Amino acid sequence: MAGISTHVLDLTTGKPIAGVPIELYDLGSNPPKLLNRTVSNADGRTDAPMLAAEAARAGDFELRFAIGTHFKEQVALTDVVPVRFTVFDPVQHYHVPLICSPWSFSTYRGS
Amino acid sequence: MSDKMNPNRRQFVMGTLAMAGGLLVARQALATASAGVQPAQAAGPISLHGVSPRLTIHILDTYHGSAATGLQVEFSRMDKDRAVLLQKLVINQNGRTEAPLLIDDSYQAGDYQLLLHIDDYYRMKGARLPSPSFLSKVPVRFRINSTTERLHLPVQFGPWNYGYYRGS
Repeated sequence: MAGISTHVLDLTTGKPIAGVPIELYDLGSNPPKLLNRTVSNADGRTDAPMLAAEAARAGDFELRFAIGTHFKEQVALTDVVPVRFTVFDPVQHYHVPLICSPWSFSTYRGS
Repeated sequence: MSDKMNPNRRQFVMGTLAMAGGLLVARQALATASAGVQPAQAAGPISLHGVSPRLTIHILDTYHGSAATGLQVEFSRMDKDRAVLLQKLVINQNGRTEAPLLIDDSYQAGDYQLLLHIDDYYRMKGARLPSPSFLSKVPVRFRINSTTERLHLPVQFGPWNYGYYRGS
Protein backbone atom coordinates (compact mmCIF):
# COMPACT_ATOMS: atom_id res chain seq x y z
CA MET A 1 0.00 0.00 0.00
CA ALA A 2 1.37 3.41 -0.97
CA GLY A 3 1.31 6.53 1.22
CA ILE A 4 3.08 7.76 4.37
CA SER A 5 2.73 6.45 7.92
CA THR A 6 4.60 6.91 11.19
CA HIS A 7 5.08 5.53 14.69
CA VAL A 8 6.38 7.32 17.81
CA LEU A 9 8.19 5.34 20.52
CA ASP A 10 9.69 6.33 23.87
CA LEU A 11 13.03 4.59 24.52
CA THR A 12 12.97 5.48 28.22
CA THR A 13 9.78 3.50 28.84
CA GLY A 14 9.83 1.10 25.91
CA LYS A 15 6.30 2.18 25.08
CA PRO A 16 4.49 3.97 22.30
CA ILE A 17 3.81 7.67 22.84
CA ALA A 18 0.17 8.70 22.68
CA GLY A 19 -1.02 12.25 22.21
CA VAL A 20 1.88 13.69 20.20
CA PRO A 21 0.69 16.26 17.66
CA ILE A 22 2.08 15.27 14.23
CA GLU A 23 1.93 17.34 11.07
CA LEU A 24 2.77 16.43 7.48
CA TYR A 25 3.95 19.13 5.09
CA ASP A 26 4.47 19.13 1.34
CA LEU A 27 7.82 20.85 0.76
CA GLY A 28 7.12 21.23 -2.96
CA SER A 29 5.58 24.65 -2.37
CA ASN A 30 6.94 27.68 -0.56
CA PRO A 31 5.92 28.09 2.21
CA PRO A 32 5.44 24.35 2.82
CA LYS A 33 1.81 23.28 2.53
CA LEU A 34 0.19 21.56 5.52
CA LEU A 35 -1.33 18.29 4.27
CA ASN A 36 -2.38 16.65 7.52
CA ARG A 37 -2.43 17.37 11.24
CA THR A 38 -3.29 14.68 13.75
CA VAL A 39 -2.36 13.21 17.13
CA SER A 40 -0.70 9.86 17.82
CA ASN A 41 -3.00 7.21 19.25
CA ALA A 42 -2.51 4.74 22.14
CA ASP A 43 -0.27 2.60 19.90
CA GLY A 44 1.93 5.59 18.97
CA ARG A 45 0.55 5.46 15.44
CA THR A 46 -2.09 7.54 13.70
CA ASP A 47 -5.65 6.28 13.19
CA ALA A 48 -5.41 7.06 9.47
CA PRO A 49 -2.21 7.19 7.36
CA MET A 50 -0.46 10.58 7.38
CA LEU A 51 -0.83 10.49 3.60
CA ALA A 52 -3.43 8.16 2.10
CA ALA A 53 -2.56 5.77 -0.72
CA GLU A 54 -4.84 7.70 -3.12
CA ALA A 55 -2.93 10.92 -2.41
CA ALA A 56 0.56 9.36 -2.76
CA ARG A 57 2.98 11.14 -5.08
CA ALA A 58 6.69 11.68 -5.51
CA GLY A 59 8.20 14.72 -3.80
CA ASP A 60 9.72 16.15 -0.66
CA PHE A 61 7.79 15.87 2.59
CA GLU A 62 8.29 16.78 6.24
CA LEU A 63 6.80 15.18 9.34
CA ARG A 64 6.84 17.47 12.38
CA PHE A 65 6.56 15.87 15.80
CA ALA A 66 5.65 18.22 18.67
CA ILE A 67 7.48 15.97 21.10
CA GLY A 68 7.65 18.67 23.81
CA THR A 69 4.06 17.78 24.72
CA HIS A 70 5.37 14.41 25.92
CA PHE A 71 8.84 15.15 27.29
CA LYS A 72 8.31 17.81 29.93
CA GLU A 73 11.92 17.85 31.10
CA GLN A 74 13.31 21.36 31.28
CA VAL A 75 16.52 20.06 29.78
CA ALA A 76 15.02 18.13 26.86
CA LEU A 77 17.08 18.45 23.68
CA THR A 78 14.22 19.90 21.61
CA ASP A 79 10.45 20.30 21.61
CA VAL A 80 9.90 19.89 17.87
CA VAL A 81 11.50 17.23 15.66
CA PRO A 82 11.21 17.85 11.93
CA VAL A 83 11.86 14.79 9.75
CA ARG A 84 12.42 15.63 6.09
CA PHE A 85 12.48 12.95 3.40
CA THR A 86 11.85 12.29 -0.26
CA VAL A 87 9.28 9.95 -1.76
CA PHE A 88 11.10 8.68 -4.83
CA ASP A 89 8.64 6.01 -5.93
CA PRO A 90 5.00 6.85 -5.02
CA VAL A 91 3.92 3.24 -5.59
CA GLN A 92 5.91 2.21 -2.49
CA HIS A 93 4.82 2.77 1.07
CA TYR A 94 6.92 5.10 3.25
CA HIS A 95 6.85 4.26 6.94
CA VAL A 96 8.93 6.80 8.87
CA PRO A 97 9.05 6.17 12.66
CA LEU A 98 10.54 8.39 15.38
CA ILE A 99 12.35 6.67 18.24
CA CYS A 100 13.20 9.01 21.09
CA SER A 101 14.16 9.91 24.63
CA PRO A 102 14.37 13.50 25.95
CA TRP A 103 17.99 13.60 24.72
CA SER A 104 18.03 11.50 21.57
CA PHE A 105 16.02 11.27 18.38
CA SER A 106 16.35 8.87 15.50
CA THR A 107 14.41 7.99 12.42
CA TYR A 108 14.69 5.59 9.51
CA ARG A 109 12.79 4.24 6.58
CA GLY A 110 10.80 1.38 8.08
CA SER A 111 8.24 -1.01 6.71
CA MET B 1 72.44 -5.92 28.44
CA SER B 2 72.42 -9.25 30.26
CA ASP B 3 70.66 -12.19 28.68
CA LYS B 4 68.26 -12.19 31.66
CA MET B 5 66.10 -9.53 30.03
CA ASN B 6 63.43 -8.06 32.27
CA PRO B 7 60.09 -9.31 30.94
CA ASN B 8 58.53 -5.90 31.64
CA ARG B 9 61.18 -4.23 29.58
CA ARG B 10 60.63 -6.73 26.77
CA GLN B 11 56.94 -5.87 26.87
CA PHE B 12 57.82 -2.20 26.62
CA VAL B 13 60.05 -2.81 23.62
CA MET B 14 57.34 -4.84 21.91
CA GLY B 15 54.83 -2.08 22.65
CA THR B 16 57.12 0.53 21.15
CA LEU B 17 57.52 -1.57 18.03
CA ALA B 18 53.74 -1.96 17.80
CA MET B 19 53.31 1.81 18.14
CA ALA B 20 55.82 2.43 15.38
CA GLY B 21 53.85 0.00 13.22
CA GLY B 22 50.68 1.93 14.09
CA LEU B 23 52.30 5.15 12.96
CA LEU B 24 53.24 3.54 9.68
CA VAL B 25 49.66 2.40 9.18
CA ALA B 26 48.42 5.91 10.02
CA ARG B 27 50.79 7.39 7.45
CA GLN B 28 49.54 4.93 4.84
CA ALA B 29 45.96 5.81 5.74
CA LEU B 30 46.71 9.50 5.20
CA ALA B 31 48.26 8.72 1.83
CA THR B 32 45.12 6.80 0.92
CA ALA B 33 42.96 9.72 2.06
CA SER B 34 44.80 12.12 -0.23
CA ALA B 35 44.20 9.65 -3.06
CA GLY B 36 40.44 10.16 -2.57
CA VAL B 37 39.47 7.18 -0.40
CA GLN B 38 38.60 8.03 3.19
CA PRO B 39 40.00 5.89 5.99
CA ALA B 40 37.46 4.50 8.43
CA GLN B 41 39.25 6.27 11.29
CA ALA B 42 41.12 9.47 10.59
CA ALA B 43 41.90 10.04 14.28
CA GLY B 44 41.28 8.58 17.70
CA PRO B 45 38.48 9.71 19.99
CA ILE B 46 38.68 13.23 21.38
CA SER B 47 37.62 13.97 24.96
CA LEU B 48 35.90 17.26 25.70
CA HIS B 49 35.57 16.57 29.40
CA GLY B 50 35.92 19.66 31.54
CA VAL B 51 36.08 22.27 28.77
CA SER B 52 34.18 25.56 29.05
CA PRO B 53 30.54 25.92 27.88
CA ARG B 54 30.35 25.60 24.09
CA LEU B 55 28.52 23.89 21.25
CA THR B 56 30.42 21.19 19.40
CA ILE B 57 29.27 18.59 16.87
CA HIS B 58 30.53 15.26 15.55
CA ILE B 59 29.02 13.84 12.38
CA LEU B 60 29.52 10.27 11.22
CA ASP B 61 28.55 8.47 8.03
CA THR B 62 27.47 4.99 9.13
CA TYR B 63 27.20 3.82 5.51
CA HIS B 64 30.96 4.15 4.98
CA GLY B 65 31.90 3.76 8.65
CA SER B 66 33.76 7.04 8.60
CA ALA B 67 33.68 10.66 9.61
CA ALA B 68 31.39 12.65 7.30
CA THR B 69 34.36 14.57 5.93
CA GLY B 70 33.33 17.20 3.41
CA LEU B 71 29.65 17.23 4.46
CA GLN B 72 28.20 20.72 4.10
CA VAL B 73 26.12 21.95 7.03
CA GLU B 74 24.07 25.11 7.41
CA PHE B 75 23.99 26.14 11.05
CA SER B 76 21.01 28.36 11.94
CA ARG B 77 19.24 29.85 14.88
CA MET B 78 15.49 29.23 14.85
CA ASP B 79 13.23 32.26 14.97
CA LYS B 80 9.95 30.40 15.55
CA ASP B 81 9.70 28.26 12.37
CA ARG B 82 12.21 30.32 10.40
CA ALA B 83 15.87 29.29 10.23
CA VAL B 84 18.22 32.30 10.40
CA LEU B 85 21.59 31.28 8.96
CA LEU B 86 24.54 31.80 11.30
CA GLN B 87 27.29 29.91 9.52
CA LYS B 88 28.00 27.51 6.66
CA LEU B 89 30.26 24.68 7.78
CA VAL B 90 32.21 21.87 6.16
CA ILE B 91 32.91 18.82 8.31
CA ASN B 92 36.62 18.11 8.71
CA GLN B 93 38.73 14.94 8.67
CA ASN B 94 37.71 14.12 12.26
CA GLY B 95 33.98 14.54 11.61
CA ARG B 96 34.04 17.83 13.50
CA THR B 97 34.47 21.52 12.84
CA GLU B 98 37.76 23.34 13.35
CA ALA B 99 36.23 25.62 16.02
CA PRO B 100 33.23 25.29 18.36
CA LEU B 101 30.01 26.46 16.67
CA LEU B 102 29.24 28.67 19.66
CA ILE B 103 31.47 29.65 22.57
CA ASP B 104 31.74 32.42 25.18
CA ASP B 105 29.38 35.31 24.29
CA SER B 106 27.98 33.55 21.23
CA TYR B 107 26.87 30.53 23.33
CA GLN B 108 23.27 31.61 23.93
CA ALA B 109 20.22 29.61 24.98
CA GLY B 110 17.69 29.02 22.23
CA ASP B 111 16.57 26.76 19.42
CA TYR B 112 19.05 25.90 16.69
CA GLN B 113 19.26 23.77 13.58
CA LEU B 114 21.89 21.98 11.56
CA LEU B 115 20.85 21.39 7.95
CA LEU B 116 22.89 18.47 6.60
CA HIS B 117 23.38 18.32 2.83
CA ILE B 118 23.30 14.53 2.75
CA ASP B 119 22.33 14.29 -0.93
CA ASP B 120 25.37 16.29 -2.08
CA TYR B 121 27.59 14.34 0.31
CA TYR B 122 26.67 10.90 -1.02
CA ARG B 123 26.90 12.21 -4.59
CA MET B 124 30.43 13.40 -3.81
CA LYS B 125 31.25 9.98 -2.32
CA GLY B 126 29.90 8.23 -5.40
CA ALA B 127 27.40 6.16 -3.39
CA ARG B 128 24.86 4.36 -5.56
CA LEU B 129 21.47 5.52 -4.31
CA PRO B 130 18.08 6.26 -5.87
CA SER B 131 17.83 9.76 -7.28
CA PRO B 132 16.39 11.74 -5.63
CA SER B 133 17.58 9.92 -2.51
CA PHE B 134 15.41 9.26 0.59
CA LEU B 135 17.37 11.84 2.60
CA SER B 136 18.37 15.08 0.93
CA LYS B 137 18.63 18.19 3.16
CA VAL B 138 18.13 16.91 6.69
CA PRO B 139 17.26 19.29 9.55
CA VAL B 140 18.61 18.45 13.01
CA ARG B 141 16.71 20.57 15.51
CA PHE B 142 17.97 21.09 19.06
CA ARG B 143 17.88 23.47 21.99
CA ILE B 144 20.54 25.00 24.21
CA ASN B 145 18.85 25.11 27.61
CA SER B 146 21.69 26.17 29.85
CA THR B 147 24.67 28.35 28.97
CA THR B 148 26.54 27.09 32.03
CA GLU B 149 26.81 23.57 30.53
CA ARG B 150 28.44 22.72 27.24
CA LEU B 151 26.49 20.83 24.59
CA HIS B 152 28.11 18.20 22.38
CA LEU B 153 25.86 16.95 19.62
CA PRO B 154 26.82 13.77 17.77
CA VAL B 155 24.86 13.03 14.59
CA GLN B 156 24.99 9.73 12.74
CA PHE B 157 23.42 9.18 9.36
CA GLY B 158 23.18 6.62 6.58
CA PRO B 159 21.24 6.72 3.31
CA TRP B 160 18.02 5.57 5.02
CA ASN B 161 18.32 6.75 8.61
CA TYR B 162 19.77 9.27 11.00
CA GLY B 163 19.88 10.01 14.68
CA TYR B 164 21.28 12.56 17.08
CA TYR B 165 21.63 12.88 20.82
CA ARG B 166 23.16 14.83 23.64
CA GLY B 167 26.73 13.51 23.88
CA SER B 168 29.71 14.28 26.07
